[in-house]
Amino acid sequence: MTTNCNAFTMAQAQLDEVADLIGLDAVTHEFLRWPQREFAARLPVKMDDGSVRVFEAFRVQYNTARGPAKGGVRWHPNETIDTVRALAAWMTWKCAVVDIPLGGGKGGVICNPRELSNGEKERLARAYMRAFAGVVGFDRDVPAPDVNTTPQIMAWMMDEYEVICRHHCPGVITGKPLPLGGSQGRVDATARGGMIALREAADALGIKLAGRKMALQGFGNVGRFGGLLAEEMLGMKVVAVSDEFGGIYNEKGIDMKDLAVYCDRTGSVVNLDGTAPISNKDLLELDVEVLAPAALENVITDDNAGSVKAKIILELANGPTTLKADKMLEDKGVFFIPDFLANAGGVTVSYFEQVQNNYNFYWPLPELHRRLEDKMTLAFRAVYDIHVRRKINMRKAAYMISVIRVAEACRLRGWV
Amino acid sequence: MEAYNAFAVSQQQLDEAAGILGLEPTMHEFLRWPQKEFTAHFPVKMDDGSVRIFQGFRVEYNMARGPAKGGLRWHVQETIDTIRALAAWMTWKCAIVDIPLGGGKGGIICNPRELSNGEKERLARAYIRAFADIFGQTKDVPAPDVYTTPQIMAWMMDEYETIMRHHHPGMITGKPLAVGGSQGRDDATARGGMIVTRKAAEALKINLSGKTMAIQGFGNAGQFAALLGSKLLGLKLVAASDSRGGVYNPKGIDAQALVDYKLKTGAVGGFPGTEPISNEKLLELDVVVLFPSALENVITKDNAANIKAKIVCELANGPTTPEADKILWANNVFVIPDFLANSGGVTVSYFEQVQNTYNFYWPLAEVHKHLEDKLTRAFDAVYDMHQKKKVQMRTAAYMISIMRVAEACRLRGWV
Repeated sequence: MTTNCNAFTMAQAQLDEVADLIGLDAVTHEFLRWPQREFAARLPVKMDDGSVRVFEAFRVQYNTARGPAKGGVRWHPNETIDTVRALAAWMTWKCAVVDIPLGGGKGGVICNPRELSNGEKERLARAYMRAFAGVVGFDRDVPAPDVNTTPQIMAWMMDEYEVICRHHCPGVITGKPLPLGGSQGRVDATARGGMIALREAADALGIKLAGRKMALQGFGNVGRFGGLLAEEMLGMKVVAVSDEFGGIYNEKGIDMKDLAVYCDRTGSVVNLDGTAPISNKDLLELDVEVLAPAALENVITDDNAGSVKAKIILELANGPTTLKADKMLEDKGVFFIPDFLANAGGVTVSYFEQVQNNYNFYWPLPELHRRLEDKMTLAFRAVYDIHVRRKINMRKAAYMISVIRVAEACRLRGWV
Repeated sequence: MEAYNAFAVSQQQLDEAAGILGLEPTMHEFLRWPQKEFTAHFPVKMDDGSVRIFQGFRVEYNMARGPAKGGLRWHVQETIDTIRALAAWMTWKCAIVDIPLGGGKGGIICNPRELSNGEKERLARAYIRAFADIFGQTKDVPAPDVYTTPQIMAWMMDEYETIMRHHHPGMITGKPLAVGGSQGRDDATARGGMIVTRKAAEALKINLSGKTMAIQGFGNAGQFAALLGSKLLGLKLVAASDSRGGVYNPKGIDAQALVDYKLKTGAVGGFPGTEPISNEKLLELDVVVLFPSALENVITKDNAANIKAKIVCELANGPTTPEADKILWANNVFVIPDFLANSGGVTVSYFEQVQNTYNFYWPLAEVHKHLEDKLTRAFDAVYDMHQKKKVQMRTAAYMISIMRVAEACRLRGWV
């Protein structure tokens, strides 16, 4: 997640490009280049040894024209305000592209969670909420788990907020454990959203997915459920999977349930029975219908984009394709589903969690899946429509829709 | 506005006092940084139909002793570090005068000279809309400061009350009297300065009656110092200056007539019966009390040795450089440090808030009595520390403030 370049400069540059494409007026453009509100706090937290440490913490509400800010809280030793700003901007565009009535936010604490005991984590979580209780809320700004933060941490934060506010308010935060108002279906939400978008893409392109091949790079939460759902929902066969230790290949398909069990046992996908090893590089260049990068950023670059043979790239990870590679894929006619559309299922189910919290009525899993289906389908079609009409790549199309939607809300409110 | 970084300076001042106090490292680290900072970008509609985006800040430096308190600056060269420093200084100032408030400061990057009244009103309202969550009489209370006025405070109060849907005058101070301002705010800073000057003279066994004073700077604080110096302390005004120069008459200048003249002509220069004097010469006059009431850094290592006043009462912020401070100390010039000398302003701001909160308003005499109490006690505490620890008044004041803030943090269990 950490980047060597300044992430916020990058987020601003992306906006600048889209602003040009849609002819955004100068003031709205300038307004959208900066967070609406930023909060910083120093949190004294008591350590187990009796000492006190002061942690620096942030919360950015990038744009709240379309609704309360939404976005995770990261705990990371290299956290910076600029990273939080950039991620808050990206949340703004993500919520807008999937058309949920939320703005974009992000938060962070500069800390090394590996050095903190459970008790220290709890006190840090509570200290964060105490500092920002005045600015968060189900109808203002709703945090969620992110890098190094967990459902348990969300539960502590919710508890602290409810103590401060003196009433129940589970919708102040999402990604909670199920017994405290979490939603059904959150665990595979990102992967499921991606599969829905993939199915829509194949329909639009007239590609048949059943029985066809997928290569999966990354086998964390998203990769694992991505593979499983590709089999279950789309009838695809996953022929190659890799993780940080290496890759495996079987052109007849790898059973995803078996692989999950194997990976839980050994800690890696490497050497699963009945598979041949494959390098990451070869995996990315396999002749498959669908390539799904589900791990890190910058894996499809100008070095290998020319060799990609997949018809569709489904970006389950954030930022797997570099800008130069984007152009090359476009020229080759490779269709890609950009990250903030492909992995928007996560925030969509976060939003559903909040909706259920707010009316205190909980949906069974099929109802949740149906609604996710609706949102993702509509989002994909809107982006695809622009892509076709304006003859621009899917990423630019998605940005255009997002920025147009956010700008329209600002304008209707009379802000700009 | 400054070539130096004000926040670095304020941290150094804390470091020095922390060293003398033996403050433990975690507390020290905690007090070196603002507790909370807020930044917003907000659009404001201009008269010509265009929209401009302004950047605004609010810093809540430390709130262990009470809600944050501090002004809002509208300045072209506003920076977050300037605001951090000023918020830190507000923390120490509220603590030294022992009012139950923490320190805060806010600002907007803008050039008020380019804004129409309507634009100013919309900017004021936009600022409150961005920060309404964090303000409140029990949370954080702004006030006028550089380029902000009672009228701007009234707009801000109105916007806040609209958002909150109830009356809430104590969310901001420095309001016009008609909407909950306090009696006695106009001369509060100068009056506080007179109280501590009187206390200093008593401690030094100097009889001020009929003695001389010189005033550098003739804005609000300087003008009221001239009037109150003669009225309350019996001091004789012999010299006063503003940015264009000064006037001098060793036999005495009629303070009221000089104020009227300044208000009429815009300057003190040319006041009948006086001779001209430069700002530099004024500072070196052989007077009993010198009131630097204008800018920072006027008493420096270059002229400190020539200061002949017995008492320097710093009505301005930061008129004496650290090097000059040492020279004055060596020469037995008694310096009443800025954040004690000019704390009458924030004290009456606090009184305004108290009156707003219980919706009952004091007559002027009662405001003066309470101000007298607060500043007398503040002076006594600082002077006592100055005597016991044999440190300068400024160091003594820092020590007391920091001890008080640190104690509150400790009692709350923060550190």
